[in-house]
Amino acid sequence: MKPLSQIIRSSRVRNGLTLVVIAALLLELTTAVQYYYFHRVLERELEHRAETELRMKAILIKGMLNKTEQLLRDYSYDIVDSIHNPDVVSDVLLFMVNANPDVLSAGMAFTPGRYPGRGRLFEPFAKVENGRSTLRQLAGPDHDYTKMPFYAKTLENGYPTWADPYLDVASYNGKDTLITTYSMPIVDHRGDTAGVFAIDISLEWLSDTLNARHAYPSSFDLLLTEGGELVCYPNALHINAEDVPQVHRLINDSTVERHLSGSGRSKVIDFRSENNGDKGYIYYANMKGKPHWQLAVVCYDKEVYGTLARMRHLLLLSMLTALVLLGLIIYRSARSERRLHLASLEQERIGSELRIARELQMTMLPPAERPAFPSRTDIDTCALLLPAREVGGDLLDYFIRDEKLYFCIGDVSGKGVPSALVMSVVHALFCSSTSHDSNPAYIMQDLNVTSCRNNDSNMFVTFFIGVLDLPTGRLRYCNAGHEIPILVGDEVSLLPVKANLPLGVIEDFHYEMQEIELKPGSTLFLYTDGLTEAMDKEHRQMGLERPMAVLRAFCGMEQTTPGMMVDAVRDAVKSFVGGAEQSDDLTLMAVRYTPSDHQLTLADTLMLTNELSQVPVLNDFVARITSQLQMEPSLAHQFKLAVEEAVVNVIDYAYPVGTTGQIQVDAMSDGSALKFVISDSGKAFDPTEGGRVDTTLTAEERPIGGLGIFLVRELMDSINYERVDGKNILTIKKKFKP
Amino acid sequence: MKTSIEELDGKLVATLEGELDTAAAIEVEKELQPLFNSEGRDVVIECEKLEYIASSGLRILLGILKSAKAAGSKVILRNLNEDIRNVFKLTGLISLFEVE
Repeated sequence: MKPLSQIIRSSRVRNGLTLVVIAALLLELTTAVQYYYFHRVLERELEHRAETELRMKAILIKGMLNKTEQLLRDYSYDIVDSIHNPDVVSDVLLFMVNANPDVLSAGMAFTPGRYPGRGRLFEPFAKVENGRSTLRQLAGPDHDYTKMPFYAKTLENGYPTWADPYLDVASYNGKDTLITTYSMPIVDHRGDTAGVFAIDISLEWLSDTLNARHAYPSSFDLLLTEGGELVCYPNALHINAEDVPQVHRLINDSTVERHLSGSGRSKVIDFRSENNGDKGYIYYANMKGKPHWQLAVVCYDKEVYGTLARMRHLLLLSMLTALVLLGLIIYRSARSERRLHLASLEQERIGSELRIARELQMTMLPPAERPAFPSRTDIDTCALLLPAREVGGDLLDYFIRDEKLYFCIGDVSGKGVPSALVMSVVHALFCSSTSHDSNPAYIMQDLNVTSCRNNDSNMFVTFFIGVLDLPTGRLRYCNAGHEIPILVGDEVSLLPVKANLPLGVIEDFHYEMQEIELKPGSTLFLYTDGLTEAMDKEHRQMGLERPMAVLRAFCGMEQTTPGMMVDAVRDAVKSFVGGAEQSDDLTLMAVRYTPSDHQLTLADTLMLTNELSQVPVLNDFVARITSQLQMEPSLAHQFKLAVEEAVVNVIDYAYPVGTTGQIQVDAMSDGSALKFVISDSGKAFDPTEGGRVDTTLTAEERPIGGLGIFLVRELMDSINYERVDGKNILTIKKKFKP
Repeated sequence: MKTSIEELDGKLVATLEGELDTAAAIEVEKELQPLFNSEGRDVVIECEKLEYIASSGLRILLGILKSAKAAGSKVILRNLNEDIRNVFKLTGLISLFEVE
C-alpha cells in the first residue's frame, strides 16, 4: 500500500478531496438552511405556545374571578335589600360564607356613622374557621377600615375593585394562604353610599391553575400584581424555581422601561439563567380587563430548540458519516485507479520490452541489403520475416564463409516470446556449429542434440540447413521436418528432400545429408508454414500451389533477383489474405546462384611431393606467377606466404608420416583475381575448421603453432575447402586488381 | 638463408639474411639455439636483410621470446621491412616484441 501522502499527491485524489470538501460545504449549507428554517418554525411555535398558555391561563383566572365577581354582585342585592337592618346584613354575610366554600370571609364596612347605635365604624364580618362560621364586628380603634385600601380605593373608584393578592399569615386555618379581596361600593335605594361590601377569597387554586399545564415541561408561570408584586410562582420543587427571582426582576425592569419609553407592550425577554447558564425566554402579558395582573410564562431554549439541536447533531453525524464514506470511496477508487495506471504502465513496459526483443530479433537477421552481397556477382539472397506478434518463432540466416553460402530457415512450434527464445538459442547454435563444420547433417545433429537436452517445454523446431559451395555450385543440405523448398530453374519444382524429424524430438536421430548441383541461374526458394497456411477471411489456406504459380513467372528469367521473387510471393500472400489478421509468422527466403564464367588469362600447375624441401620450388612457382601478372611486390609477398602456408599444412597433415604423396597446385587468374587450388589425395582434412588465433594474448599465453591457416585467412579474400572424389580441395583466392 | 650470432654490449645479436621459409626454418632453428638460452641477456634480431618469413619462422622467434621472457630479458626486432612488419601485425606478434 502506498503511503497516504503519495496518494494525496495524485491528481485524482486531489480532485477527490476537492469533491469531498465541496460536498461537505453543500451539506453544511443545506443543514444551515434547514436549521434556520426549523429554527424559525420553532420560534413561531414557541411564540404561539407561550401566547396560548398566557391566554388560556388568563381566561381560567378570569373565569374564576368572574365567579367571585358574580357572587359578590348576587349578594350585594341582598345587602342592599337588608341595608335597613344591620343584623340582617350580618345574616346575609354569614349565609354567604356558609354557602360558598371559595369565600373565606365576607364583610360589610359601612360608611362611618351609618348606624348611630352601632358606633361610628361598623363592619360585620363573617368568616369560616375550622369548619365553623363566625360572625364578628371587626371595626375598632385598631381596625380603622376607612384607612384601608379595600375601602378607600373602592369608594374612590366607585366600582367593584380587586385588591392585589397577598399572603395572609395565619388568618385562616393557621396556615399561609394566598388571598385577595374583592370589594364593591354599596348604594342604598335612596342613592346614598352605604359602605363597601368585600369578600376574601383563597387564591390557592391559582397556583394549581398556573402550574397545571405548560407549553414545555420545564416551563413555569408567574403571576404578578399590576404593581409587579410576585403573587404566584412555582414551588421550590420546581426544577427552575431558582430562576424565579431573576425572572421577576427582569419583568419589573422591562415594565419600568416600558413605562418610561411609553412604547407598546413588551412581550418577550431573552435571558440567560444566573443559576445554570441556560438560555430562556420570558413571555408576559397583562390580563385583559380588571384586575390588571400580569401573567408570565418562562420557556427554556434547550426545550424549545432541543429537538432542533438533536436533529442538528443527528444531521451532522450522518453528514460526517456520509463524508467519511465518500472519502473512503474516493480513496479506494483512487487506489484502484492507481493500480490500473500501474498495470497499464506494466503493460507498456512489457510492450516496450517486446519491442526491444523484436528489434533484437531483427538484428539477428542478416542485413536486408539488396543485393545481399554487393561485392559478389555469383550469389544473391533475399529474406523476409514478418512475425505475427512482436516477436516470432521463425528464424533464418545466411552468410558466406570460405566461399560457401551457409543458410538456414526454421520454425519453432508455437508463437510469441517462448518461441522467440527457443529460436534465439537455435540460431546461436547454428552460428557456432557452422564455425567448425560445413556438413549440414553434422550441424543438424549438433542442433538436435542440444535442442533435445534442453527441451523441458517440449518445443520442437522444423529446420532446413543448406551449404552451397560457391565455386562448384554443389548444394549440400539437410532437412529436419521443414517445408520443402521450391527450386526455380527452367521450371518450378520441389527440392528432393527427406523429411527427417524436427529438432528436439529424438536425441540420437540420424539426420541424412542430401546433395545436388545447383545449376547456374537457378533459385532456391525457402519459406515457413506461414506461407502455405496463410488464411483468408473464410479460413481457406494459401497452399503451395499459389506461391509456386507466382514463382513460375520467374522461370528462365535472367534479369531477376531474389528480392523480386520474395516481394512477388509476399504480395500474393497479402492479396490472398485480404483483411484477415496474420495468423502465423511468415518467413520467405530466396537464394539465387549465378556464377560467372571466368575467362582465364592464366593457368598453371605445379606438382609437388609432401616434403618440406619442396617449399622453395613452390615459392619460385608462386613468384613466377605473380610476376607474370605484374603484381606489386607486397601483394606478391602475400600470395607467396599464403600459398606456402596452405601447402605446408597439406605436407604436414595430409599423408601419414613416412609415406609419399602428391600435391597439386593449380594457379588460375582472370586478370583481376588470382586463385590457387591445392589438391591432395590424403585423408579428409578441412583446414578451414581451424585457424582461429587470439591475437590479444601475451607472449606467455601464446601457443607456438596455429598461425599458418590463420595467415592464409588474413591474407586472402577467401578460403574454401571441399572434399570431392576422395580429394581434399583447398581454394584460396584474392583480387589483386580492382 | 644465412644467420649469424654475435655478442655486442652484453646483448646477443642475431642477423638474419635471406628468405626464412618453412624449409629453411629447420636449419635456422638449430643455428639460433644459443638465443634460446640467452642467460638474461637481451636478444637483438637484426632483420635488415630478411626478405621473407613464414609461420615456421614466426614460431622460432616466438619460442626465443618465450624463453627470453622467462629469463627476464627482452627480444628486440630491428629493421623489419614493410611486408614482414605487416605479417607481425596480422598475427598480433608485433606487440609482444620490442621493435626498433
